Formats: sequence, structure tokens, C-alpha cells
Amino acid sequence: MKKFLTKIILFFNNNYLAKPTFILALVVFLAAFILSHVKEITYPSILRQTEEKEKLALNLVLPGYHSLLKRRVEIEGKDFIFWEGEKKDLNKESKGYAFISFEPGYSGPVKSMVGFNDQGKILGIYILEQTETPGLGARCLEVASSQLFWTSFFKAKKKNLNHSRPWFQEQFKGLDLTKGIKILQKGDWNQSLRKELLQVNGITSLTGATITSKAVTKSLQAGFKVLKEKINLTIPAVQNLDNNFLEDDENINREREEE
Amino acid sequence: MNYLKEFTKGLWEKNPILVLSLGLCPTLAVTTSVTNALWMCLASTFVLVCSNVLVSIIKKYIPSHIRIPVFITIIASFVTVVELTLKAFQPNVYNSLGIFIPLIVVNCMILGRAEEFASKNNILVSIFDGLGMGIGFGLTLTILAFFRETLGANKLFGLTFIPGMRPVMAMILAPGAFITLGLMLWAMNSFKSRKKKGG
Amino acid sequence: MEIKVLFTILISTIFINNYVLAQMLGLCPFLGVSKKLDSALGMGLAVIFVMTLASFITFIVYKYILFPYEITYLRTIVFILVIASLVQLVEMIIEKTSPTLYQALGIFLPLITTNCAVLGVTVLNIDSGFISTEFGLLKSIVQGVGAGIGFTIALLLMAGIRERLETADIPKNLKGLPITFVTAGLLALSFLGFSGMKF
Repeated sequence: MKKFLTKIILFFNNNYLAKPTFILALVVFLAAFILSHVKEITYPSILRQTEEKEKLALNLVLPGYHSLLKRRVEIEGKDFIFWEGEKKDLNKESKGYAFISFEPGYSGPVKSMVGFNDQGKILGIYILEQTETPGLGARCLEVASSQLFWTSFFKAKKKNLNHSRPWFQEQFKGLDLTKGIKILQKGDWNQSLRKELLQVNGITSLTGATITSKAVTKSLQAGFKVLKEKINLTIPAVQNLDNNFLEDDENINREREEE
Repeated sequence: MNYLKEFTKGLWEKNPILVLSLGLCPTLAVTTSVTNALWMCLASTFVLVCSNVLVSIIKKYIPSHIRIPVFITIIASFVTVVELTLKAFQPNVYNSLGIFIPLIVVNCMILGRAEEFASKNNILVSIFDGLGMGIGFGLTLTILAFFRETLGANKLFGLTFIPGMRPVMAMILAPGAFITLGLMLWAMNSFKSRKKKGG
Repeated sequence: MEIKVLFTILISTIFINNYVLAQMLGLCPFLGVSKKLDSALGMGLAVIFVMTLASFITFIVYKYILFPYEITYLRTIVFILVIASLVQLVEMIIEKTSPTLYQALGIFLPLITTNCAVLGVTVLNIDSGFISTEFGLLKSIVQGVGAGIGFTIALLLMAGIRERLETADIPKNLKGLPITFVTAGLLALSFLGFSGMKF
């Protein structure tokens, strides 16, 4: 036994490569060992982040819907996840759906969640992940009214928390997924553009970030196409848009009452 | 050993970005906003000080010709710690810094200090060196980010800076970064040569 | 259809998202080696080789070892060690085949290890979601090649300009690094023109 040990020690000391390799391997092993513990500590928090963000997004894109069911469908070998929810207005139950899809943007995939009702009308979108250029594509997360740097010191305590949503995402509300969504270049969105955009079923793209705007739109339409084909949604063939400048769901309810 | 001197040299005389030209990649890419710059400074300084300390502790036991891979492994481990911590507790920062968090590993400044200083000096002075270099790095980052964010996006810390002003988009993109850094270096050179003339 | 996708990746990494001039990676060697055209070309070719091979190996390691066994947090360490070994290999090859080039590149050859662009392209391959798309390996390799070619083009352009700058009349305080950065900024500005290319 002793002979064997001395042989090993001699091997280490004489061989040019043995000792360095052993030490390097030891260092790497120790590093991996310590890191696995760090991972154990941080991973629950990381997983929770994704879940919470998803929940927040779902609440925003399917407002007022309850009993959300997460469903999984296999398409071409890949899992397609979507949510199905129910809403009750005036004794009539309607379903809403939401899914996440992504499309390569300018500098990476843009991941968005969209919620729509059983008529294919978008109720809201939420951009979950993007790595676009700040000042250009990243403006898809920009909130319309911003607080001044200088006044933030004074208004600090009176929290005028800006809960408004980014205009780029808000403008998708009310658009029809069964038809193609057009992309127009009308500069930044403002209230006066709303009617015009709804009429042509379009959005105004971010200045200097057409690629990002196109990526978001494409991801929504591609996901919807998949969902519509595989899940057999009942969507009426023709939608009469003549007197339907639908600003929000209250308008739909009012019309149903009139019917 | 004058500890204070080891600390302050990293701020001006041997500023990693402006004098030693180390750590340029994150400098230009991360300074799109002051918040990003400050977080990058924090992350880099943490990795720098920790790796300096560890390298200084084990410097006697590492054979010379594998010291670089060993240093790299140590630095990469600390960077992974930072990566996981930020991902878990500050996901917004993690998303805005993006790929530049793992790129702290190849920040020439950290490997450079480990090689040049920590492997030859004791633990305490390595800490000061690390802190000085890290804060010097951070200061330069912040100044650069200040100009880029205010001129390029008309924001500071994400809040509007000057109402009604249309920002110069090129500042936020690559050209603005290069040119601003070039002008900063020019200013520094002018300052130094004026000092020399006066002294 | 697949050829079109690969072509898009190639054009995008070389021109639209040029790693040096648009994404601001790989700056240390960019400024250090771009003084002469021949050493710039040699460095560029070495980087293309390392990037392609690194993309290939790191992608396979990530997809078949790190991801299935859920040890993706070891990504940074594993990738950088793979790159370090590859650079060592390239160094030995160049030393044997062309000692003059080896002398010309000097310290910058082992510094390819700390080239943000090499680690950057390997990390970006993963972050672009290539592991879950078909032909992901091919796309990663093409992205590696494209990144290398883009880096080389930027390097050659810079070297050509800097050779001319040697004989130009530049104010004293702008000489050296400041004017180099401003030049790089103007180059980056010109490359911004590619960002409108659509497919």
C-alpha cells in the first residue's frame, strides 16, 4: 500500500503535467461545488419571478376573466401553452384565451403574451421579455407620460405612481386577430389616432424600430393561427364593424342589451 | 505599504478605463443609462475585490504555468454568483445588463489586476487595490453614462431630464459611446498636459 | 428556406449587428492590434477560427451536457475554459506555422481568450434561443463565422485608417487613443446605415 502511495506522489512530482492538471481540476471542482449551493439558494426566487410575472401578465391581458386553465397542446413536436378563461357578463358566459409567443426582433427574441376573447378581439398584450436597443425598440415598454427628474425629489413621498401601460402595447387593444394587423408609420401613438387605427385594424410602429414592431405583431398572428387551427375556436365568419368603434367591453355590453 | 495610495491610484492615476485601457467592452455598452452603469460598477467591484482576495490567498499554491486558467475559473465563479443573485433578486437589472453580466469574466481589468497585483501582494492591500480600481471604473462609467443618457434619451435614472427636448439618438447607440469616450480622453489629456506645463 | 435564414444571420452579424461597431464587443484587441494592416488581418483570421470552433463546441456542450443535467449555471465557467483551451491550441498552431505572425501578434494572441466578442458570441448563441430551434447547431456556427468576419472587417477598416492617421497632423492631446475612439465612432455611425436593411 505504502509503495503504491509513494509511486503516486513520485508520479505527481516528476510528471510535468500531472500536478498542474490536478490542481486545475481541483479548483474547477471546488468552484462547481460552491456554485451548486449558490444555485440552490437563488433558484426558488428565480422560478418565483417567472411565475409572478406570468400571473401579472395574465391578469392584464384577460381582465375580468376567472377560472383560468393552463392547457398544453403538442404541435409539430413542440409544446404550445395557452390559457383558457371564463367570464360571465349578464348571464352570458364567454371564453377568453391567452398565449405566449416569441419572434426574433432586432437583437434577440421578443416574448409577448396576448389575451383575446372568443371573437378574436385582442383584450391586451404584455411584452414579457425583450432585449431591444434602448431608446429605439426598447421603447415598446415606455410609458406615455413620464415624471421629470427634477421634480422627483419633491414629489417623492406623494406617490403619484404611474400605473399606466406602455402606449405601444395598449394600442393593440381592440384589434381583430382574425384579420391581418397592419403596421403604419404614424409616429408615436396619441388618442386621436385610435379611431383611424381601429378602422384599418392596425398599429403605429415605434419610430426607428419597425423591426421590433413587426416582431411583436408577427408573433401574435403566428400564435393565433396555430391556436385557431388546433383548438377549433368558434369565431364568427364576418364581423360587422360599421357601428363598432369599440373602446372597451362596456360598449359591447351596451350593444348586447340593445339586441 | 501606503494603503490609501493603493486605493486612490485606481481613481485617477491608474484609472482602468482612461489610463490602462482595460475593461472597455462593458464601458461602452453598459453606459446607456446611469442606473445600468452603477449596477455594473457594483457587480464588477464585487467580483474584482473577491477574486483579488482569493488569488492573494492561494497565490503560493498555484503552479505558474496554469495560473491564468485558475484565475479565470475563480473570476468566472464569482461572476456566476453575481449572475444568479441578480437574476433572483433584481430581475430588472439582470435584464437590462443582459449579456454583459457573464462578460464581466473577460473584463481585462479583473484578470489584469489578479495577474499583476493580487498574485504578488498580500490580502489587505489587494482589497484596497480592488476597491480603488473598481470605484475608478465605476466613476468613469457613471460620467460616460450621464452624458449618454441625458443627451441620447433625455432621461436620468429613467426620469425625463429636460421637458420638450428631442434627444440625439446617436448618443444612445454605438457611435455616441465611442465619440464621447474619445472626447473624454481628449479632455483628460489636455488636463494632464496643462498640469505638466503649470508644474 | 433554411438557406435564407442562415444568410440572414450572416448578413446580420457582419453588417447590421456588427460585433465591434454596433454591439461594442471585442474592443481591447480592436484598439490594440489595429495599428497595422497585416497584423490586423492575422488577428482577424485567428479570431474567426476561434469563434467558429468555440460556437460549435460550446453549443454542443450546452445542449447535450449542461441543459439536460440542469447545470446551466455553470455555463460561464465551462464556456470560458473551452475558449481558453481553444486559444492555447491556436497559439501553438500559429507558432509552428508562422513565427513572424506569432511575433507580430505578440501578447494579443493569448488575449483572444479575454476577447469579449468570443465569449459574447457563444453566450448570444444560447440567448437567441438556438437550442430549441431546428438546425440550431448550424445557426450557431454561422453566427460564429459571421461575428468573426464582422470583427475582421471592422479591424481592417480601422487599421487602414490608423495607418493614414500616423502621417496626419493631429493636435497633441488628441493623438493616440482619443482620435482612435472618435474614428471608431464615425465608423460606427456609418455602419448604423445598415440597420435599415430588411429581408
